[in-house]
Amino acid sequence: MKSGLSKILFLALVMVVNTGLLAADITVFAAASLTDSLKEIAASYGKTSGDKIVFNFGASSTLARQIEAGAPADIFFSADEAQMNKLAKQGLIDAATRKDRLGNTLVVVVPGDSSLQVQSASNLTNAGVKQIALADPQAVPAGVYAKAWLENLHLWASVQPKVIPTENVRAALAAVASGNVDAGIVYKTDAAISKKVKIAYEVPRADGPDIRYPMALVKSSQQPGAAKQFLDYLSSKEAGQVFTQYGFLLQE
Amino acid sequence: MSLLLKNILLPLADFTLEVNVEMRGRVTAVFGPSGAGKTSLLDLIAGIRAARSACIQLDETVLADTAKKISVPTRRRGIGYVPQDLALFPHLSVRQNLLYGRNARATNPLFAFEHVTEVLEIRSVISRGVTELSGGEKQRVALARALLASPRLLLLDEPLASLDVALKGKIIPYLTRVRDEFKIPMLYVTHDRFEARSLADEMVVLVKGKVLQAGPVADVFVRPANATVAKFVGVETLQPGLITNVNEGLAIVSVNNVTLTALAPAAPARAVFVCIRGEDVVLQRDVAVSSVRNRLPAHILSIRPEGALFRVELDAGFPLFALITRPACTELGLREGDSITALVKTPAIHLVPR
Amino acid sequence: MTALEWQIVGFTVWVAALSTVIILPFGLALAWLLARADWPGKSLVETIVTLPLVMPPVAVGLILLQVFGRHGAVGGFLHDHFNLDIIFTWRAVLLALSVMSVPLLIRSARVAFEEVNPRLEQIARTLGASGWRVFLTITVPLAARGIVAGMLLAFARALGEFGATIMVAGYMPGKTATISLAIYENVQLGQDAHAYRLLGVSVVLAFAAVWCSEFFLRRKKATA
Repeated sequence: MKSGLSKILFLALVMVVNTGLLAADITVFAAASLTDSLKEIAASYGKTSGDKIVFNFGASSTLARQIEAGAPADIFFSADEAQMNKLAKQGLIDAATRKDRLGNTLVVVVPGDSSLQVQSASNLTNAGVKQIALADPQAVPAGVYAKAWLENLHLWASVQPKVIPTENVRAALAAVASGNVDAGIVYKTDAAISKKVKIAYEVPRADGPDIRYPMALVKSSQQPGAAKQFLDYLSSKEAGQVFTQYGFLLQE
Repeated sequence: MSLLLKNILLPLADFTLEVNVEMRGRVTAVFGPSGAGKTSLLDLIAGIRAARSACIQLDETVLADTAKKISVPTRRRGIGYVPQDLALFPHLSVRQNLLYGRNARATNPLFAFEHVTEVLEIRSVISRGVTELSGGEKQRVALARALLASPRLLLLDEPLASLDVALKGKIIPYLTRVRDEFKIPMLYVTHDRFEARSLADEMVVLVKGKVLQAGPVADVFVRPANATVAKFVGVETLQPGLITNVNEGLAIVSVNNVTLTALAPAAPARAVFVCIRGEDVVLQRDVAVSSVRNRLPAHILSIRPEGALFRVELDAGFPLFALITRPACTELGLREGDSITALVKTPAIHLVPR
Repeated sequence: MTALEWQIVGFTVWVAALSTVIILPFGLALAWLLARADWPGKSLVETIVTLPLVMPPVAVGLILLQVFGRHGAVGGFLHDHFNLDIIFTWRAVLLALSVMSVPLLIRSARVAFEEVNPRLEQIARTLGASGWRVFLTITVPLAARGIVAGMLLAFARALGEFGATIMVAGYMPGKTATISLAIYENVQLGQDAHAYRLLGVSVVLAFAAVWCSEFFLRRKKATA
C-alpha cells in the first residue's frame, strides 16, 4: 500500500510540475505603440499554446529603466535602438536573440473636428498652432524621432516652445483626441487606432528618421524556453500579417 | 416705556417658554430660578433667537410678529444687551470695545463717551486690554459698551451673579445711577430677590417657562399669587391652614391648632397657605397691651446669622421664622431654647388658596 | 542647483502661494457656512469638500481635465468666448493646486470658526454691526490662528501636489514644471542628481510650512 500511495503522489507531483512547465506566464515589456497589435497576436498565440502572455505597455525609455531596476520581464520590444542598446551595454539582454522586427512612419495628427491644415513641416511654426503634443523628446522614442525629424529640417528651435511633452506616444495621441492641443506627432499606426484624430501630414521617409523596433529576450527571464517560443512567433508570417494590418512596416 | 410680549411660544429643552405680559416699569425684574428660560426670553427680545410664535412690541415699534412674518434684525432693534458672561471682545482694547457700537448718528449728549465713562468710573482703564480688568471693571465696561450704543432698552442678564457680596454692593449703585442718569428702561434678569427689590419697580416671575405673576415689585413680594411664587420671593413662613371663619373682612385661620387672624382673601377659600414674611415677625418678652392680634407663644429652635440680621426659627405650634437685627437679639438676650412671644400683625399674614 | 532647477522651485513656490491666496475667499466663506449655519444639502457639501483629500489625486485630475478641457463645461466656455486655455498651461497648475489644497483650509478654518464664542457675535449684532462687520471685526480676528494654520497647511499641500497636476498640466520645464513633477521626470530620465537636489528642496519647504502651521496653532489664545 505504501508503495502504491507514493506512486500516486509521485504522479501528482510530476503532473503539477509539468503543468508548470507547460503553462508559463510570459511577461512582455513593449512600446506603447504596439499595444493593439501585440494584444491581438498574443490572443491567437494563446489558442495554440498553453502559455499566457502578460503585457506591460509604456514608453520604451520607462520600460528600459524598469528592467534596469530588476523588473521581471521575459521579452523587451522597444520602439528604438537607443533603449535596446542601453540594456545591451549593461548585459541585460540576450544579444543572440535580438532582432529588428518593425518600422513605422511619423505623422502629424489633429483633433477630428479641427480645420487645421499642415502641408509641410514648416506649417507647425505657424501662429495658429499653439500647442503640439508629442512623447517626451528627451527619452521616449516617438518623441526622439519627432525631434530628430524637425532638427533635420532646422525647425526644432521654433517648434520646441509649443511642445507639450507626454509620458508616451499614446498619451500624446490622447491629448490630441481630447481636443486640448492643436496638433500632435505620433506614429501612423497610432493615428489609425483613434477615431477622434485625423492625419494632417505624413512625414516622408526621406525627411524622417530611420525608425526601427528591435525585440530581444531579457537575460534574467525565468522561462527562456517559453519566451523564446513566443519571440519566434513574433517573427512568424502570421504575426507579420497582423503587424501589417495595423500599419507597421516589416524589416526584412 | 411699554414692552409688550404677546403670544410668545418657544420650545426649550425641558419645557416651553410661554409669555404674555406687558412691562411698563423703569426697571423690570425678570425673576425666577435658574433654567426658567430667562436668558432665552432676553435673547428673544434682542432678536438673537427666533420663537415659534412671538409678537414683540417696544413702544410703537413692532420688533417681531411671526403671524405677519415681521422680524426686525438684531442690529436695528436698538436694544443694549449685557449678557451673563459679559462677552467683552477679547482681541480689542477697552476703548475699542466701548466704541464698537458707536455710530455717527449718536448725538444725544446723555450718551456721550465722556459722560458714560464718568458715570461708570472707567476712565482710568480705557487704554487697557480686556484681560487686564478686574471683575468689577469688566462689569462696568460691559454696561458702558451697551450704553454707548444709545439703546432704547437695556437688557441685563444676572449682572451680579458671579460677584461676591462686597463687589455686588459696589456695583448696585452704578446700576442705580444708570437707571437714574440715562433714563432708559431696563429689563433685569436675576434670581436674587434682594437685587430685584432694590432696583426694580416692576417684576415678572418666570418659573419653568411660565409667567406666574407680573406687576409692581411690592405687590409680588407682599401678595404672591400662589405658593410657588411665595417660595421664590422668599416668604420665610409658608404653612398650610384652614379658614374656619370669615367675619367683617377678617379671616380666622387655623394652622396646626394655632389660631391666627388675617385679612380675608379676595376669593372665598377654605384650604389656604399662610404666608408670613420674616421681617414682619416681632419678638417681644413683655406683651401686656398691644394692637397686634396675633400673639403667639413660642420657643426658639435656632438662631442663624443672615447678612446683617439673624434668622430665628421658632416653634409657635407651627414652624415660624423671624428676621431680627443683631443688636435686638443681644438686647433681648435671645438664646436657643428660650420662650418668647412672636407678634404678627393681621395685614402681614397673606393667604393663598391651596 | 541649476538655473532651471531654481526656476522650477521659484515657480512652484509662486503658484502654491497664489493658489493659497485665491482659495481664501471661497474657502473661508464655505468654512463659515459649515460652522455656523444649518441648511439643506449641508452634509452633501461637507462630503464633496472632503473628496479631494481622500480620492486618488489622479482621479481628481481626471475630473478637472474633463471639466476644464476645451470640450468641457467650463473649459469650452473659456476657449470659445475668451480664447483662454487652461489645460497644459500654468493656469492648470494653479487649478490643480487650488482644488487639492482647499479642503485643508476649509477644515482648519471651520474648526477655528466653531471655536469662536457665538455670544460675542450676537452681542456685536446688538451693538448695531452688520453681518459683514461682525465677520470681519469679530469672527475672523478671533479665528485668525486656525485660519493661518490652515493656509500654511494648504500651502504645504500645494507645494507637493503631483497626481492632479500631471493630469492637467503636463511637464513643461519653464512653463508648468513643479518640483514634484520635475522629480518624477528626472527619475524617468535617469537624472538622479537633479531629482535628489529637488527632493532636498521639497523636504525643506514642506518642513518649514508645516512647522509654521503647528507654531500658529500652539500660540497662546487671547482670553476674555
